Amino acid sequence: MNKILSVIIMVSFFAVANKGAAQDNLSPQRKQAIDSLALEKVRDLSKYISIIGDKATPWSDAQRVIERATELFMESSEIGVSSIGKQDVNYYKVREYFDRLIQLNYDKVTIDWYKIQYVSDLVRQPDGTYVGVITIYQRFQGFSKEKGLVYEDTTKKDITVYVKRKETQIGGRLISFWDVMLGDIRVKETSK
Amino acid sequence: MRRFSWLLFLLLPAAGFCQGSIGSLTGDESVFYAQTKQVNQFFLRFNGEEDIKGKRYYPGDPSYRDLKLRKKFMNILFDNSNSNITADTKFVFIDESLNKKAPAMLDFYSKGWFAEVTTTFQYKKEKVNIILYLKIEKQLKGYKWVISNVYFDKFESWFTHLNDTVNLKYFIHPMSHELDFMNLHKVFREPENLDYYFEREYQPDMTSLFVMEMKNGNLNFISVNNVKFHVFQVQNWYFEISYFNRNDANSGWLISNILRVNDKEKIELLRHYTHIN
Repeated sequence: MNKILSVIIMVSFFAVANKGAAQDNLSPQRKQAIDSLALEKVRDLSKYISIIGDKATPWSDAQRVIERATELFMESSEIGVSSIGKQDVNYYKVREYFDRLIQLNYDKVTIDWYKIQYVSDLVRQPDGTYVGVITIYQRFQGFSKEKGLVYEDTTKKDITVYVKRKETQIGGRLISFWDVMLGDIRVKETSK
Repeated sequence: MRRFSWLLFLLLPAAGFCQGSIGSLTGDESVFYAQTKQVNQFFLRFNGEEDIKGKRYYPGDPSYRDLKLRKKFMNILFDNSNSNITADTKFVFIDESLNKKAPAMLDFYSKGWFAEVTTTFQYKKEKVNIILYLKIEKQLKGYKWVISNVYFDKFESWFTHLNDTVNLKYFIHPMSHELDFMNLHKVFREPENLDYYFEREYQPDMTSLFVMEMKNGNLNFISVNNVKFHVFQVQNWYFEISYFNRNDANSGWLISNILRVNDKEKIELLRHYTHIN
């Protein structure tokens, strides 16, 4: 229901009756509106990650949330993970990353998100789609029953955001709107 | 004092900046605010196109590209742990960049900057490092990064005899044409000396070799290890931007190397950094 509502709001917010009104350059106002949409997607993702990682989440519920989380991404998106002191980056498919998150061997996991986020400019790629990067920070803590807190890290997540102008017919009118999808994510450990 | 207040402000956790934020964790975020989190942010800070919390300034905003704001930002865009970057160098660079008549600006879309990406590949059975150079190129409605050059020391080792003008052993004698170059079979019998036989001006194309080895299945990509950027857009200056992953305010994308150079020296530097002979 929330999703439908959000799409309706998105469509009405960006409704443009005239097909020819498509712009090459984004005005600051439009850029800010798209940033808000993109941040909403990232907020959904962070919420889903917290639920998937939570050991109290029943397996079947976690699977449903993984489905929702995966739908936020463009097909073939990957997550590149590196840690301090390790040179190589490990690349995972989005689904694989979530499956690994659910299987982490801790009795309790807490995933918190810092309030700060940074949104880059939107740059147009050759096919006309705009691409940007949103940076957020996450604190992860893993606990065992016997030892309490056994692992902790803070990671910087640089999330690719694709913004594309799409059109749909509503009541015989052609309505343009901006669609936002997530892409590859680079996860960098910043501190323990 | 004003400078100190600004710095203090920058380092304070920005409690009021939670509107539309992602999380609710009220840890010490001052490091993250001060950190130059993206290369995009480096450009915007250098140009004075955002405030200290990352809110964009646009043309028409009073603070847009304001020289005082830019001076404050520029001071935090250097890697402070690098003793090779002296206070004098910083002062002159900032002073010249913020020349009132013609202030230097960085432009993402323009020439004069490129990425140096150190990668790991599997080459046959060995793990090797290869450097890829990428630059921004316009195509149709937008832009893309393209590979402009490749450096792999293994490739270079195949050409150690190039430009050798003193050897008296490996050459195709000047009357070989009368024999239908039948002596070529001797040349190709010793592939290790093949590079003696090329013209003096010959320059091997590492990118072509890279493509060939990839397409033949001899090279397989493993990972990106490190990324840095070389910037030549500021008149009389070259600088390098690297990522510093550390838990203090002087972190993120920062100037890791800087040199005062004239146009001729810039060309030399460019050759040096991209391994073009």
